[in-house]
Amino acid sequence: MKVDIEEVHSVFAWTWHIPKDNKDGSLEADDDDDVCGICRASYNATCPSCKYPGDECSLVVGECNHNFHVHCIYRWLDTTTSKGLCPMCRQLFQLKRGLAINDSQLEKFKELQLRKRTNTAGEFADEDDEEAIERAMAQQDQAEVDDQGDVIMDQGLVVR
Amino acid sequence: MASLPKRIIKETERLASDPVPGISAEPHEDNLRYFAVTIEGPEESPYENGVFELELYLPDDYPMEAPKVRFLTRIYHPNIDRLGRICLDVLKNNWSPALQIRTVLLSIQALLASPNPNDPLANDVAEEWIKNEELAISKAKEWTKLYAGKR
Repeated sequence: MKVDIEEVHSVFAWTWHIPKDNKDGSLEADDDDDVCGICRASYNATCPSCKYPGDECSLVVGECNHNFHVHCIYRWLDTTTSKGLCPMCRQLFQLKRGLAINDSQLEKFKELQLRKRTNTAGEFADEDDEEAIERAMAQQDQAEVDDQGDVIMDQGLVVR
Repeated sequence: MASLPKRIIKETERLASDPVPGISAEPHEDNLRYFAVTIEGPEESPYENGVFELELYLPDDYPMEAPKVRFLTRIYHPNIDRLGRICLDVLKNNWSPALQIRTVLLSIQALLASPNPNDPLANDVAEEWIKNEELAISKAKEWTKLYAGKR
């Protein structure tokens, strides 16, 4: 039999590579684990405000091993009710260290932290807002140096 | 109005296909964010055999903001006031977007099973509850019969 190939359609699939440390060493996640705890859409789909999945609507992994669409967790942490806590376990939400998946979000989270920090700083020192911002920034820089630049979250910078 | 978020659609579907025992929640036809809710009084509570009607509204910011829930049926309970407003931490400071309509309604059902007069909303009820629990419980039973009878 002779086969002539007339056309080739290439198809690819992708998923986020989400590091898991299940206690039993298994890599399987249950169905519940595969949706964002905030919007309940699949990690591989987008958050409610995005159109295209992937880099434009990426995931972040928390220090507590809870994952969310970055837009979802960002919106939550921006509310006052959140007190900076993870929606699932109510621990302080921090990006997990040294994960490639978190890298692109470090700056964004740093800004969020700084904004919250300066908002509160403003309450205590209305007259020197700028000074407060500078101080916060200096502190932030310090935190970064201490951690060799691979962590942005610092407990002291989260405003409760 | 913006289209209904997927999460709300999913929650609504699951409430219908896999309802919580003793709880029903149905969205209004003309506003899918507004739910008519019934909660059966838990067994062995003063509210046993009662069916309580509530209204639940999902604000635009849901799930970043908690649902608004209110009793429509009158109830004698230290954490629920005359207007049906409910004093429950998860509806206020302890809201988390990981919670859902069903978990909120379960919390309310649990609140019926264990009234907490030390964190009152209806002060007069709480006072009576602390002063004479037996009398308060019998009053709660009476109100249940009076206002929350099964139809």
